[in-house]
Amino acid sequence: MSYFFQLVVSGIVVGSIYALAALGFVLIYKSSKVLNIAHGQIIAAGAFIAYALTGMVGIPIYISFLLSMVITFFLAMSVERIFLRRLIGEPIISVIMVTIGLMSIIDGLIFLTPFGSVNFSFPLFLPQTLISFGGVSISWTQLVGVIVTFLMIGGFSWFFKKSTVGISMRAVSDDQFASMSVGISVPRVFGLAWATAGLSAAAAGVIIGNITGLNFETLQAFGITVFPVVILGGLDSILGAVVAGVIMGIIQQFASGYLDGNWGLNGTAEVLPYIILLIILLFKPHGLFGIHEIERV
Amino acid sequence: MSTNRWLATGNYFTSYQDEQRLFFTHLDRTILSLFLFMLFVWPLLFSLSNKYMLVLDNILIAMVAIIGLNIVTGFAGLISIGHAAFMGIGAYTLASFSRTLGDSHVIITHAWPLMIVLSGLMGAVFGAIVGLPAMRLKHLYLAIATLSFQMIFSWTINFLEFFNQGQTIAISRVFWFTGKLGRKDHYLFWYYVLLVVVILSGFMVRNLLRTRYGRCLSAVRDNDRAADAMGMHPGLTKVYAFGLAGFFAGIAGALHAYVYRGVGFESFTLHHSITLLAMAIVGGLGTLNGSFWGPTAIIALELQVETLAEHAGQILPSDWNLATALKPFSFGLVIVLFLMFEPRGIANWWRIARSYTKLWPFRY
Repeated sequence: MSYFFQLVVSGIVVGSIYALAALGFVLIYKSSKVLNIAHGQIIAAGAFIAYALTGMVGIPIYISFLLSMVITFFLAMSVERIFLRRLIGEPIISVIMVTIGLMSIIDGLIFLTPFGSVNFSFPLFLPQTLISFGGVSISWTQLVGVIVTFLMIGGFSWFFKKSTVGISMRAVSDDQFASMSVGISVPRVFGLAWATAGLSAAAAGVIIGNITGLNFETLQAFGITVFPVVILGGLDSILGAVVAGVIMGIIQQFASGYLDGNWGLNGTAEVLPYIILLIILLFKPHGLFGIHEIERV
Repeated sequence: MSTNRWLATGNYFTSYQDEQRLFFTHLDRTILSLFLFMLFVWPLLFSLSNKYMLVLDNILIAMVAIIGLNIVTGFAGLISIGHAAFMGIGAYTLASFSRTLGDSHVIITHAWPLMIVLSGLMGAVFGAIVGLPAMRLKHLYLAIATLSFQMIFSWTINFLEFFNQGQTIAISRVFWFTGKLGRKDHYLFWYYVLLVVVILSGFMVRNLLRTRYGRCLSAVRDNDRAADAMGMHPGLTKVYAFGLAGFFAGIAGALHAYVYRGVGFESFTLHHSITLLAMAIVGGLGTLNGSFWGPTAIIALELQVETLAEHAGQILPSDWNLATALKPFSFGLVIVLFLMFEPRGIANWWRIARSYTKLWPFRY
């Protein structure tokens, strides 16, 4: 039974990171209806900037985490400003393909740096002992990661519910014309959506980097794994992203805990989310919490 | 009305049938036939090394695949981020024959045209299955469905013992009427086969677009409600578009397997899907001649980038990973720049050049 709880706990750890990664994705989709396929690359960039600041420049680790979030914030904002602003009004399909192009560009830029081929890991700054109770153990890094994740998700939810900027973002996602007529600058909101997505992506990157080490493949894979999560949760729901992230994390842990090794199966955790994705698309395409106004064709 | 059928400087259509003709003037037809004749003859005049023949084969394989991708992404307006996986389905259809019957079984070496068509059909079946969510959903979700198909495909190939866990599965050289192909003739032979396949599928698609089955694709892309009102079934049309795309991709995959004499997992990754998308965008989405420009341009760019990386690698410090970096970077840049500044692709330049020469020496 403790094996079961152990899997649940590590599922929650992985899942909360999925939730944070999915959050940025949902933010962009919610405001501008763009699927950001380059999200994994932004996550990786955030993590690498943090490492470069602390490991190469020598800034204290906590400050470098914050700095990397700030830098990624402006980076994502400028990506929106340079590449996507001029595509407002173009068919959505070409905007999505621009993000595919961006994914390749950022890939290329990262391969240019040592991060593309060499694995790094953040300096250890938390106690290395395991916290265990009742046969379930969790490391300090994971615990802090989960706590920070949920704090950030709480912060973002507050931001959307209460702050003026957050309310204007929700207004734009609801109706662009109506929000223009009450004086909201829609392009500015798009920029802000990308910027906040960049911020949450950097946070996710730093947390993943602390738990698993800085490997480009692992980090950018989160950008693809985010798809099953957001489809399960509903593409435009922040609550859905969080719940689905945790569910997906637990499913993956169960798959690798119970399925692998039995019946000759191996590595099922990688493929199960996508199978679930296809099934959801066929039977419940708006996900758990998505708005039900998907147009039937 | 007696019009000049050799040099028409304007449109003199008097019926809708006129407008749908394949060749508007006799000159068009003559130039195209001469060009195709040249394509067949020139390898006999110059002898090229196998290395260059392989590049040409690659371009032609990509053209077959892009004709398929253009049907689904260009004409039907559905993003497919899994086209390389459909190619993989074709290649692995061949590979499964090779695994069960042995790599030089008579079916593989002698009945290769049959195998290629069979791979295409297999690709079509899988394409239609992945397109099934189209019955209920619009294009954004379909892009995700194709992406997840790509991931499932990669996992399955890497997992199953039957597919050698992604390691290369050999396929032996084929037989022609003169006997087994020699080492030197291999790429030349497949150049001709590929040329025939590309020309056939080009005419197939060109003719498809003149029929109701082709035009319903762009009708559904432009406005699916209007198409519905006109009596088409948008969902079925999309499934059918995916099936057709899968068919061409499957054929391209089987040809790839034959040309490379083996099937390996690393030729059908997500990265390749993105390269294929780049080809379709650069060539011009929703145009037939774009399917020929795109692969040529991107593979030429790829070769240039490789030589550039080689030269730069000698000057720059060796831990700068230039060779792996430049390829995705340049592809991404090309996609983004074309979408921003020339969304209609190289096909548009071709159109401008054509309309210019048509009226020459007059400007209007």
